[in-house]
Amino acid sequence: MIRRIFDFTLILLFMWICMILGLWLINEVIVPLELPGINNRFITAILKVAASGGLALFWLWLWREIVKRMFWRALKKSQEESMKRTEDKKNKKFLKMSDEY
Amino acid sequence: MSVELAAFTVGFASSLLSMPLVMKLMKKKRIVGIDMHKKNRPSIPEMGGVAVLIGLSASVLTVILLMPEKTRLMISFLSAALIAGTVGALDDLKPLNAKIKPLLTLFSGMPILLLGTYNPRGPIFPIIGQTRLTVIYPLMIVVALAVTSNAVNMMDPFNGTMSGTCTVITATLIISSLLLGRYDGVILSLCIFGPLIILYLFNRYPAKVFSGDVGSLSIGAALGAIAILGRLEIVAVVAFAPQIMNAFYGLSTIGRLYERREVPRPVTLLEDGKLMATSHPDAPLTLARMILARGPLHEREAARIFIIISIISGILAIFTAYLIKVTA
Repeated sequence: MIRRIFDFTLILLFMWICMILGLWLINEVIVPLELPGINNRFITAILKVAASGGLALFWLWLWREIVKRMFWRALKKSQEESMKRTEDKKNKKFLKMSDEY
Repeated sequence: MSVELAAFTVGFASSLLSMPLVMKLMKKKRIVGIDMHKKNRPSIPEMGGVAVLIGLSASVLTVILLMPEKTRLMISFLSAALIAGTVGALDDLKPLNAKIKPLLTLFSGMPILLLGTYNPRGPIFPIIGQTRLTVIYPLMIVVALAVTSNAVNMMDPFNGTMSGTCTVITATLIISSLLLGRYDGVILSLCIFGPLIILYLFNRYPAKVFSGDVGSLSIGAALGAIAILGRLEIVAVVAFAPQIMNAFYGLSTIGRLYERREVPRPVTLLEDGKLMATSHPDAPLTLARMILARGPLHEREAARIFIIISIISGILAIFTAYLIKVTA
């Protein structure tokens, strides 16, 4: 149970730290950015919003990929373990039967 | 202090008194659901959320009586919950299309817009501070309430998960409001806190009542409304992280809006009464399936993990509130 909670704590922490870092990046880097050759304020604003939106989409994509990989790896591992347990049970039964024989 | 205490007590007492009556009525009218995660598959009365709406309405009316200057705020809050609750009740009585239901919940944000009870400048972010999203923000309000109500509705796989996680979110919003000095956030959260505790007590494992869509959609809309009216948008986003995660992964694996009945079940019941995640490639990747990926669990344990995850995101949300206070 603790292992499962730990997995989710890591995901939540990662997502939260990324959000705070992203906000810092937007505030400190993207918003004050002066684009050389572009004097139109409207175009500059659109480019900054697009950059911030791209950052948010990248964050969501990263979040999804991490969870997907984590899920399939955990599922595979638990299925392998349950198969191993069933095989061990079968082997034990077989050994017991052969001993009796 | 007396208004806060009255808001909480009236909501708590009204829900406590009305819940057995609602359960009795639903049983009588044969509005029951099958508890799929139990071996004997018992029939449980549905629409327990009606008792939450009764408690919430009583609590809101008490605040209006004690503080008439808050009438507009309280009416917009209650209307948002009631509109979403009506959509939920319609769905409980006659299942709605997977696309129509989210569309109808868009209306729950309308009272806030029409009564103008939101902060017109936009949300306050940590580090960035007060934004100026005067044009986009009203549109975001409508979408936000539809998102919160449907995200809460999607996260009701086991007994007590929806009611338990929403109780944790409400407690988080109360603490964050106190930290940021947002009085409206405190009073609105206290109005729904009592009814939510009652719903959790009746809905936790083994469930005596199901909230139904009337409960989940109205609770989701009410929490979304608290986030907007209490100016706690970003805090709520962090507190809602498990719900967002559940809805986002479910939708991204299916690729469209879906009803639970239309897709393969993400979780199966084993002979020993434990629940196991399916390896079906077409099943949605929900939070329940992710929790069960490491191996089968009993429903009570799985539900407990849901609440612990919600508490962790609640702690992060309180940290976010602290960051807003320090940096914004």
